[in-house]
Amino acid sequence: MARLWKNFVNGLWNENPTFRIMIGLCPVLAVTTEAINGIGMGLATTFVLVCSSALVSLLRKVIPEKVRIPAYIVVIATFVTIVDLFMNAYLPDLHQVLGLFIPLIVVNCIVLGRAEAFASKNSVVSSILDGLGMGLGFTWALTVLAAVRELLGSGSIFGWKLAADGATTIGVMSLPPGAFITLGILMALMNMIAARQKRRAS
Amino acid sequence: MNLFLLFLSALLVNNFVLVRFLGICPFMGVSKDVDSAFGMGVATTFVMVVAAAVTWLIEHFILAPLGLPFLQTMAFILVIAALVQLVEMFIHKTSPGLYKAMGIFLPLITTNCAILGLAIMAVQNAYTFIQSVIFALGAGLGFTLALVLMAGIREELRFADIPEPLLGAPIAFICAGLLSLAFSGFAGLI
Amino acid sequence: MVVVLSVIAMVSAAVLSLVYGKTSVIIEENAARALESSVLEVLPGTATVNMIRRSPDELGVDDPQEMREKGQETTIIYQGVDEQGQIVGYAFVGEGNGYGGVVRVLVGVDEATDQVLNVKILNHAETPGLGSRIEEEGFRSQFAGKTVDDPITVNQDIQIISGATISSRAVADAVREGLQDTVRIYRGGE
Repeated sequence: MARLWKNFVNGLWNENPTFRIMIGLCPVLAVTTEAINGIGMGLATTFVLVCSSALVSLLRKVIPEKVRIPAYIVVIATFVTIVDLFMNAYLPDLHQVLGLFIPLIVVNCIVLGRAEAFASKNSVVSSILDGLGMGLGFTWALTVLAAVRELLGSGSIFGWKLAADGATTIGVMSLPPGAFITLGILMALMNMIAARQKRRAS
Repeated sequence: MNLFLLFLSALLVNNFVLVRFLGICPFMGVSKDVDSAFGMGVATTFVMVVAAAVTWLIEHFILAPLGLPFLQTMAFILVIAALVQLVEMFIHKTSPGLYKAMGIFLPLITTNCAILGLAIMAVQNAYTFIQSVIFALGAGLGFTLALVLMAGIREELRFADIPEPLLGAPIAFICAGLLSLAFSGFAGLI
Repeated sequence: MVVVLSVIAMVSAAVLSLVYGKTSVIIEENAARALESSVLEVLPGTATVNMIRRSPDELGVDDPQEMREKGQETTIIYQGVDEQGQIVGYAFVGEGNGYGGVVRVLVGVDEATDQVLNVKILNHAETPGLGSRIEEEGFRSQFAGKTVDDPITVNQDIQIISGATISSRAVADAVREGLQDTVRIYRGGE
């Protein structure tokens, strides 16, 4: 039980894909102009991650070693297309905003990375929890980054206007440069917190 | 659309890395020195151009006529993966020197989202075959340019006195932000 | 080895075509509904929207065969009718080549005067802060009152957005080209 819990929280902090391992960064930068987009992208990726981890783990004894990578890619691409179609049908506005970055979940290194490094070697339950942890770790990272950018760039959060009418916002935060700079500063903050944790532990 | 404008737009104004955020992983991973950045850039550009041509043919001669748009993501990613393998084998056989220079970068290119992104964008924008190839060339060279510039900056960063929490990736991202800000100046180019 | 891979690929293709069959209907309905609400925006006072389809032959263009070859099978325009059953006007979707891809606009035309009422930008991929300013009221309102007899060309009767010539021209092209066809359709060759 304790081990399963560890699988789950691993992705949330210690091996957070965005802030600690730094993989799958394209959508992190691209869709985080508004907090709601961050959540949408994060949850879509989480869904793909959990489903593909589960299936890869289920099939780990059936798939021959040599063709495992193409097999994983087919599994992942299937779930990505399902998400793409469902979002287009039921969440058309969000689908429009995320656009290109939904099919690009296929090449998100987190998904293939977890399939190869974890799901292909572990039981289904652990793999699902690992996928869920990684996905939610990715989601909160996206949401925090998007919330900061939305607040500074448009003066609102989750679409709620906070800044007074006519107040000057830092427009560049919604533009590409703001994405890079905000992520850099957030990463530095995470490093500071981690360093402090380490010092306290020793 | 004017081919030259398309090329320039992909190269500078809508730079794949700094404006569209495609290919961030290699941008951060392989930009520690100028030489390997250049190698990665050239290898990626090459695969991009070939992939753009092949995925265009697949879209217009297989997927569209058969009415299978939902297999697009799957077909494209498999083709790109196979293509990277082929290119790797081909270079390995024909030009050992080039293989030595580019070889280690090739496997990384499969998961470079710039390639799949490019293929999907070319379909969405309904580019012709020629337009797709020019678009890929501009995008690839733009990727190379961003990578080499970043590597140049990071080589200098090694001698800079940087606060501890900012060391490594954080400062690199802030530099990328400034680079992106500089590139936004190209927006008024035409 | 090959068998396992083929089975996986086949199962996945089957699942996808099932999902696609289920969702494509909803996706089309969504698109139609979204377009309908946009028509209400460009034709104020509209209560219901009717779709009018015309094949190239019915259009009365000079060369219907050429249109068909370009993939323009049918032209669709939208007729806005108010609560009393009076025709408010017609709307059409126009396309122009912008900087980052195709710019799609919806244009409302007044039934009585053949003048453009409103222009709405449906989607675009222009540079944020520059090309994206084609969405602004100040730029779009320039098109109001234009008819087929106006040039509707940038630097003549349409002021460009500074730094975004291509984007501005894309909108003007889309409006001008679509307007002729549309008026021809509802005037029925008068």
